[in-house]
Amino acid sequence: MISNWVGFYTLSSKEVMRFFSVWRQTIIPGVVTTLLYIFVFGVALENRISEISGVSYKIYILPGLLMMNVITNATANAASSMLQMKLLQTLPELLITPLSSLELSLSFIIGGAVRGFVNGALILLICWLAGMPINNLPLTLVAIFLVSWSFASLGLLIGQLSDSWDQLALIQNFVITPFSFLGGIFYSIKMLPAWAMTISLVNPIFYAISTLRYTTLGVSDASFKSSFIFLIIFATLSTVAAVRTMHTGKKIRF
Amino acid sequence: MKDLGIEIINLHKKYDDVYAVQGINLSIKKGEFYGLLGPNGAGKSTTINAITSLVKPTAGQVKILGKDIVSDFRYARSQIGIASQELSNDFFFPVEELLYYQAGYYGITRKNAKQRIDYILNKLGLYEHRNKKMRMLSGGMKRRIQIAKALVHDPQILILDEPTAGVDVELRHDLWEYLKELHNGGKTILLTTHYIDEAELLCERVGIIDGGKLIVEDTVKNLKNMVNKSGIVIHTKGNFPNLKDTLKDFNPIIDQNRVEILTKKPNLDLPKIILKLSENNVGIEDVQLPKASLEDVFLDLTGRKIND
Repeated sequence: MISNWVGFYTLSSKEVMRFFSVWRQTIIPGVVTTLLYIFVFGVALENRISEISGVSYKIYILPGLLMMNVITNATANAASSMLQMKLLQTLPELLITPLSSLELSLSFIIGGAVRGFVNGALILLICWLAGMPINNLPLTLVAIFLVSWSFASLGLLIGQLSDSWDQLALIQNFVITPFSFLGGIFYSIKMLPAWAMTISLVNPIFYAISTLRYTTLGVSDASFKSSFIFLIIFATLSTVAAVRTMHTGKKIRF
Repeated sequence: MKDLGIEIINLHKKYDDVYAVQGINLSIKKGEFYGLLGPNGAGKSTTINAITSLVKPTAGQVKILGKDIVSDFRYARSQIGIASQELSNDFFFPVEELLYYQAGYYGITRKNAKQRIDYILNKLGLYEHRNKKMRMLSGGMKRRIQIAKALVHDPQILILDEPTAGVDVELRHDLWEYLKELHNGGKTILLTTHYIDEAELLCERVGIIDGGKLIVEDTVKNLKNMVNKSGIVIHTKGNFPNLKDTLKDFNPIIDQNRVEILTKKPNLDLPKIILKLSENNVGIEDVQLPKASLEDVFLDLTGRKIND
């Protein structure tokens, strides 16, 4: 359990300050990308693409874009913070302090989760201004935070196991991005062939998008209840995996 | 043992098939200044990292002030401050902020840390640089920040891994003075170095480590006395053909008017030698007592120089 509360608070706030201090790199890009998507799909392509589940295409893709931003930011923050500390030799200084594996892991996860959540909340505001309905605001925010937390945990795990920026980019480009696209950002998975639909059913990003689509637009591919339960299970598993790996000291204690 | 600051019991560390450390036992008393000496790759850093739990031992145990570093990790780690050999390079935050974070990890709130951080910044000549980020600082300053970080939570035990590596002579002397002051204030200090003069000047006891083993440990004085090289060099006034015979009890090495005698007890043997020479009417031009250094001790024990 957590007992070094001052240490835990110190590291968590440092992790949060770390990305806020470079907000041009960590907050602005997601906002700009979303605005570009809204512009391109809203202005240029809106009339050429038909509605999905009774929602205009421009609006239909917004929850997915929002979640993709949340996932990318949360993962990147925890992963890069951990890897950077490894490469800059600042990690050993942290590992010798009286912070437990749980306190260390949760601090890194909080850093990533807050970044994901801040990005998500800002983009939610932009989406709302662009006309996206928000059926249930509290549940929407809970879903954003849950997904942010899960992927920050996953990011921490990836960061701890990576030895170089190359490896990190490899995972980002060949795992996270494909899974995001296959999770139904731009389409309903009902449009996919049966085999691809089956694969989507084990993709956590599909449930993240499906949940958000439900809490905002009121439509979704999977039922809200099953998606939400899946997300809670996924958050628990990814947190346990990150904390356990930190506890084993793999690739950080020799 | 209650009066031990650091206790290492039968430490082994194996990487793949190679032992970096094999069977080190080390007991450092509270308040002692102990030097761990050895060439690069001898196992010094592995030993130190095992104390701070950065290295997971293959076998053995480490205790800090009587508490196990694994089962009592919070207590043990809170009592250790380490200035590592590698300079860290956190470029997001200014120096002062980094020290506040460091204090925080040890459970010290910003309010409680302020006085100590101001004191350390002043003491190490960093106060005017407190708002600078690491990348704006010189290597010497970064080294001082490493030491400041190690001290911020006022630990009882200070571990310094090559603290003066790559710093200029003036700063090295300043750091030595500060380390002496810390030691006089009661801190237990473990220093690794391959600068012989540093160990000779600061340490009460020295352990020499080579090939992952502690090959000898004693006070600097006793270690030097172990070496036969402690000698006496006498230059005579002119050449005396019977000199070898006169000094036969001391096995002299004679080169014209230069006489060298190797002895473990130069202070006791010198008067006897001078008496012998006077009795035989040998004039003396000068007498030198070149002292053995830890370098000689290492050479004597391993057949190699320490910095090879």
